[in-house]
Amino acid sequence: MTSIGTGYDLSNSVFSPDGRIFQVEYANKAVENGATSIGIKCTDGVVFAVEKIISSKLLVPKKNVKIQVIDRHIGCVYSGLIPDGRHLVNRGREESANFKKVYGQPIGIPAFADRIGQYIQAYTLYNSVRPFGVSAIFGGIDSEGPHLYMVEPNGAFWGYKGAATGKGRQSAKAELEKLFNEHPEGLTTRQALKEAARIIYVAHEDNKEKGFELELSWCSETETNSLHKFVTGDLLEEANEHAKREMNEGDDSDDEDVSSDEDNNAEQDRDGDIQLE
Amino acid sequence: MSTIASEYANEVSNTPIEHQFNPYSDNGGTILGIAGEDFAVLAGDTRHTTDYSINSRYEPKVFDCGDDIIISANGFAADGEALVKRFKNSIKWYHFDNNDKKLALSSAARNIQHLLYGKRFFPYYVHTIIAGLDEEGKGAVYSFDPVGSYEREFCRAGGAAASLIMPFLDNQVNFKNQYTPDSNGKVKRPFKHLSIDEVIKLVRDAFTSATERHIHVGDGLEILIVTKEGVRKEFYELKRD
Amino acid sequence: MNHDPFAWGRPSDETYGQYNQAIANASNFPKMNTQQPIVTGTSVISIKYNNGTIIAADRLGAYGSLLRFTDVDRLFPVGNNTVVGISGDISDMQHIEKLLEDLETENNYDNSYADDEESLKPSYVFEYLAAVMYQRRSKMNPLWNAIVVAGVENGEPFLRYVNLLGVTYSSPTLATGFGAHMANPLLRRIVDRDSDVEKTDLQTAKNAILECMKVLYYRDARSSRKFSLAIIDKDQGLTLEKDLQVENMTWDFAKDIKGYGTQKV
Repeated sequence: MTSIGTGYDLSNSVFSPDGRIFQVEYANKAVENGATSIGIKCTDGVVFAVEKIISSKLLVPKKNVKIQVIDRHIGCVYSGLIPDGRHLVNRGREESANFKKVYGQPIGIPAFADRIGQYIQAYTLYNSVRPFGVSAIFGGIDSEGPHLYMVEPNGAFWGYKGAATGKGRQSAKAELEKLFNEHPEGLTTRQALKEAARIIYVAHEDNKEKGFELELSWCSETETNSLHKFVTGDLLEEANEHAKREMNEGDDSDDEDVSSDEDNNAEQDRDGDIQLE
Repeated sequence: MSTIASEYANEVSNTPIEHQFNPYSDNGGTILGIAGEDFAVLAGDTRHTTDYSINSRYEPKVFDCGDDIIISANGFAADGEALVKRFKNSIKWYHFDNNDKKLALSSAARNIQHLLYGKRFFPYYVHTIIAGLDEEGKGAVYSFDPVGSYEREFCRAGGAAASLIMPFLDNQVNFKNQYTPDSNGKVKRPFKHLSIDEVIKLVRDAFTSATERHIHVGDGLEILIVTKEGVRKEFYELKRD
Repeated sequence: MNHDPFAWGRPSDETYGQYNQAIANASNFPKMNTQQPIVTGTSVISIKYNNGTIIAADRLGAYGSLLRFTDVDRLFPVGNNTVVGISGDISDMQHIEKLLEDLETENNYDNSYADDEESLKPSYVFEYLAAVMYQRRSKMNPLWNAIVVAGVENGEPFLRYVNLLGVTYSSPTLATGFGAHMANPLLRRIVDRDSDVEKTDLQTAKNAILECMKVLYYRDARSSRKFSLAIIDKDQGLTLEKDLQVENMTWDFAKDIKGYGTQKV
């Protein structure tokens, strides 16, 4: 942390001499420590999954819901500061509802991503505010089909086939890449639900001392009438079982090619996160 | 724009005529409250009308608000419901603010005056009656005009057939124009409280007669009765023609 | 003293000069809100039966006496067990349609049970609409409509009415506008009292509604042959048919109608 003490890390509206805005980078740190979230774009929709760390045994299982509905066709999950994410979702709901009020149809997801990106970026410009401490994965189905995006604390947003953020993003991304290599033609949402569950389990490996709960949601043209719905009951159970089974099999092969030492790899993270520049 | 002249002046003014939305309607029906020695009743027919149409044959308009208070606001039904809703809410907050203290009927009456007078310049178009027991356990009925002036009475009819029922009540409850036999019209019949059974008979007669003579009254009669045991409901059919 | 009611409350012109409208920002023309409906939808009719409710409305949007729009939806499903039928001003109706869409969207926010135990029930939808209608009339800016909310709630048929005044009521049969005069008496032959609902099956109720749509098409000048019909059944759920039309009409009686047009009899 060479920036500490230089003074350039105190304000949003000031660049450091080498062209960085430290507050935004610190916001990324908040994200890197958050619970893992992933999103998968499929042939017929999108799937979201998030790891919910059980921070207290007193929390009621399944009642503390993390994935949120932005509009009936858009879902969102994020890693980092949860209250920041909830505010962002509120703004997303306003944008989406306003679009529908003005144009009489659901907002297109690329247009929605643009609005959210602009909103987050505005929080990197002024001295009176701090950037969002979240990276949000959102997506759904519009008239053009399925879309999946992830937006970063600096306001940049990219469209993904598979997106991961939070503490376990490294292994999650590796798994996602593997997944799309195995399925070059893409997956269905039903397949992806199981894979998403498995990836959350894999990503949790490095954080094993803490218990977690899996949360799943999806938008599917065939399964949910293109609306964003939570995955519950048997379907959720099935995904959980599949993930656990795969994990047990994985233990034998022991092919851990993913680095688990997060803190020493900050530089590499940044390169890994932002592939398009 | 139209030319209009008033009856009181020669001048003719040329002003726009305000042709505006009428926020009121008359939904018919009639209500009747009678206080006895240790009970009170509030009855209402269940017909709901606009103009010559019967909207519903069973749309109750007498409500139990808790705390042994029963209320009905008869006239423009939307205002009636709004008033009752506000009054129920007011009782709820009275409980929150005063450690669940029971609202006295006299306090309820004063509270309703404020609800009504608060809309003095856009009134609730209703005749309101509440009934219950007073602090001594005696039957009590309070009646209100649309803007909140009120008084405690032994009996009161309100709504469409009020003018048909009220004189009957004066005679049969307060014994108006009744004299003791052989007094040659000199000694008034002394006042005596009626029993519950007598009162219910009176109420039923009042409503069957009102049903005969008034087109906006009929279908059903719902009577709410307050005694120290609590609130009880009775229902009787009325003619549906 | 000027006793003319038109001058009451005004400073006298002799003393103070001509009354200045600009005082107290008084406009010389009263503030205008909706005073009349423009494009209108005619009757909505509905009935309860032993397993649910049926509601129907034609598809016409009339501009005065001009049959202006011939394919207007006036039945709106909200969730899986409610249908809202709207008559009266069409633009106000479309505003209400938007309110209902928002209501449903907002019910989905942070609600994992929005499709199940926390889905919108007919009584919720009705209570919301009744509050909106009464508030708007109290602001002297009404939504110029008569609305019937039909559905099934807790295994029981639900039917309730609200109009531009905020007046509400329930009955085993409900009809707005012309239907209140023509359809209600016919429907009440089937279900006059609550106890009749149990004895009436879907087919009987549906036939009665179809018959009423026919009578209304015969006698209501501002009605169309095409209509929509929704059934909310306890077991079958919600079905909405949008492409029905009045069938089996006999116009034989028409030749006997005298007193109009050019006939010389």
